Amino acid sequence: MKILLLTIIFFSTQVFSHSKEHTSHAPHAHSADAKLVDGKIENLDSDRFDRFISDLKGYKVAVVSVKGMVCDFCARGIQKTFNKRDEIKKVDVDLDKGKVLLAFTSSATIDFEEIKKTIQSNGQTAVDMEIINI
Amino acid sequence: MGIRKILFFILIVIVVNVSARPVSWTQGSTLMAYSNNMKNSIYYHFSPTYKFSLGLEMVEDKVFDNSYAYFRFTRLLNRKNTQNSQRNLYFRSGVSSKQWASYFLGLQGDWETRRLFAGFNVNLIESGNRDYFDQSYQVGIAPYLGEFGDLHTWIMVKTKRNSVADEWSTFPLVRLFKGDVMLEVGYNGETSWDAHLMYRF
Repeated sequence: MKILLLTIIFFSTQVFSHSKEHTSHAPHAHSADAKLVDGKIENLDSDRFDRFISDLKGYKVAVVSVKGMVCDFCARGIQKTFNKRDEIKKVDVDLDKGKVLLAFTSSATIDFEEIKKTIQSNGQTAVDMEIINI
Repeated sequence: MGIRKILFFILIVIVVNVSARPVSWTQGSTLMAYSNNMKNSIYYHFSPTYKFSLGLEMVEDKVFDNSYAYFRFTRLLNRKNTQNSQRNLYFRSGVSSKQWASYFLGLQGDWETRRLFAGFNVNLIESGNRDYFDQSYQVGIAPYLGEFGDLHTWIMVKTKRNSVADEWSTFPLVRLFKGDVMLEVGYNGETSWDAHLMYRF
């Protein structure tokens, strides 16, 4: 049994050890004609951001900085909760940078206090938000 | 192996495995299966807010060879979120369906970053026949950092002791989670399997 367990451990570390290298530089200012309208962007994975907005022409993206978002399992509720909202088209969670990306329809009103409460109800703490017009 | 044990094992395999957090997000539900040398159990809890959960646990008690249900209440006493870590302290309790005099009270705590984990769990169990104390401590490291949605893996060491057996048992565990499912399984030659499976929805 010990051998079986050690075998599982060994394979799990080998097979899934392809963790991706992340860049930590600022987002490309020209990405998909993105225009920052509120706040400043710090510590955002620009490649990830570009992938996120690739099909979001005309949308607004809220980039929310979140504390305590250390595991996938814990952050899952954030995605589930925001996905239920009609005005939000897409949600992404960047565990590495502690960011939640929310794509809002262009007519939506983005209220940081409301977003903060939603994230708090999942047990994490939202500390900052930037809005980018795509 | 009895039919109940076989069914329980099948359930564990199907549902997948264990979770660290005894309280879910607001309005979240959690289904858990747990098996070790002391008990087999299936536990459902609902979190009206992220600060507490109410649940029902069906227990097959291996120590006193009987079965009962626990009506459970868990409260988040303290949480500290930082940029790279989260720390939690929970109060845990349960009252048995057998009699009001059968219950447990406990504390559970954890601290984790994306790379490191440390946790403890201490419980006082009053069974009606006798009371006993059980405790466990766990540390772990993530060999790689997965992205949101990837399979996440933790390699851990757990040490536990209860005052009935009165000896420490230390063994390795592997914790896996992906999406809404988490599984933790360890094995010790003396205390056999220690498995925890969790599904959140």
